[in-house]
Amino acid sequence: MIDALRYEYMRLRTLRSTYWLIGAAMLFQLVMSIVLASVMASSTSFGGGDSSFEIIATIGASSGFAPLFIAYIIGLIGLLSVGHEYRHGMIRATLTAIPNRSHVFAAKVVTTIVISAVAALLCILIALLSIVAFGLDLPTVSSLVELTAGTVLFTIMFSLSGLAYAALVRNQTAAVALLLLVPSVLETIIRAIVISIKGASEEPGADGGIIQLLRYLPYDAGGKLYTRASIDDLLSFLGYTPFGAVGGGIVMAVFVSALLGLAYALFLRRDA
Amino acid sequence: MALIEARSLGKSYGNKRAVDNLSFIVQPGSVTGFLGPNGSGKSTTMRLMVGLDRGDGVTTFDGDTFGQLQHPMHHVGVLLEAKPFHPTRTARNHLLMLAAANGIGSRRVDEVLEMVGLASVSRSRPRKFSLGMGQRLGVAAALLGDPHTLILDEPSNGLDPQGITWLRHLLRHLAGEGRSVFVSSHLLQEMAVLADQLVVIGRGRMLANGPVSEFISHSGLGAVEVRTPDRALLDPALRQLGADVTDEEGFLVVRGASAEQIGDAAHAAGARLHQLATRQATLEEAFLEATGLSEEFRGTEGEQP
Repeated sequence: MIDALRYEYMRLRTLRSTYWLIGAAMLFQLVMSIVLASVMASSTSFGGGDSSFEIIATIGASSGFAPLFIAYIIGLIGLLSVGHEYRHGMIRATLTAIPNRSHVFAAKVVTTIVISAVAALLCILIALLSIVAFGLDLPTVSSLVELTAGTVLFTIMFSLSGLAYAALVRNQTAAVALLLLVPSVLETIIRAIVISIKGASEEPGADGGIIQLLRYLPYDAGGKLYTRASIDDLLSFLGYTPFGAVGGGIVMAVFVSALLGLAYALFLRRDA
Repeated sequence: MALIEARSLGKSYGNKRAVDNLSFIVQPGSVTGFLGPNGSGKSTTMRLMVGLDRGDGVTTFDGDTFGQLQHPMHHVGVLLEAKPFHPTRTARNHLLMLAAANGIGSRRVDEVLEMVGLASVSRSRPRKFSLGMGQRLGVAAALLGDPHTLILDEPSNGLDPQGITWLRHLLRHLAGEGRSVFVSSHLLQEMAVLADQLVVIGRGRMLANGPVSEFISHSGLGAVEVRTPDRALLDPALRQLGADVTDEEGFLVVRGASAEQIGDAAHAAGARLHQLATRQATLEEAFLEATGLSEEFRGTEGEQP
């Protein structure tokens, strides 16, 4: 296993895309943190503290109206860890250097987890530095811990889903499309259909029913790990009660685990 | 030094049997050529041997399957793709990455780059490498662990004549050190001077397996040229041997009988011989004869004017 980890480390270290993607994510986080912190410092609506920290750290995603940008960028690193293998025919070179497919797959999962966690932590650190630099109030310890854990966990799971898509479809472009479209388009379409059905029912305001399906949209559910308000809150009039951070995190974890499990099983069986 | 032993290799794609019950041995200290028409299953067989494709049968390297080898690049060097590298990762970094997984130091990376003639471009991105340069990098990767066994799929593809000569000398040298070399190629003239043994397949099935000389001598295209002033005496004797005789501008071409048999028959018949020469088929002729009915893809020769 250690050989496969060494290989993955060298693979990541010697690819330009690793530096570009991490650099782009950090630059975006830095610029947006400075912009948001400076706006909040001169605003009377934001007094700093937890809400300011949450918005700066997630670049507005904690409001539920924007995706967690860092996850999308770092997610590409997870996706490319397998996507490059198939796009450039590297998979045969990889498996003749390390014939144990379980080790190869596990090493990619481990490095994706580490990179995603470190990148998410750096984003939190940049947010804190911006808060300090602009003299805003620091968040409470509980808010800091909860948001940090939520952001790190979501970024890790998002990246792993990218890795799994690439391993499942063995086509880098198709995997990128899946990673971008499933959370942002497919889940939105499903939400619209479910809302329409519930709205057209005899008792649209009744608790439960088909509307509860929305709790199981994996990326939306996982988003509860870092959102403090959500567009879903507006659906309470349809009797919708979303999961909290733990429940939503579990839904996404089950979904990503299933994707990874299927990808791993196929990776073992398929021709390289 | 490793003995490669492939037993009952098989692979199907849907209803099509791509490789069918192939068994052969590659001896240490020899170059074994792997021949077959396009689509005959050569690349699939090589991928099966190192566990890249899932199929039937087993291949062992001194008793171990490829998957059982600890640090496999120290045991088996493999070249299966024409350009098996990321276009923006430098040639040296590509090898360093492979080396990292097999406990190989950077000094060896620089050695093999020098050996294959890529030292001057080792820090260049291989995006613009020619096919030949890509093959050289592939050969460098195969040699990285100084393995006792090499499995090379069309390594001479894209190489210029100097490159082909270099590769031939390299593989002969490696075999001379006692290593097992299993190599496929479409360059039959090259294979004729490179290989000691041959494995010839068609439509995934074994057609021939043995020394190159034996494969050629078994070809029906081999013949004996005979020049005699006593044709009338010799003809009945040759017919008695069951040989096929054709007349070619001043001499006879005899198939189905050896020079010794013809000489003895002539002596017994009292026919004088002015020339008795064995004409061997070329490897190309023998190959075409052996695989004639096994071509997966056959073109036409175009319309006659």
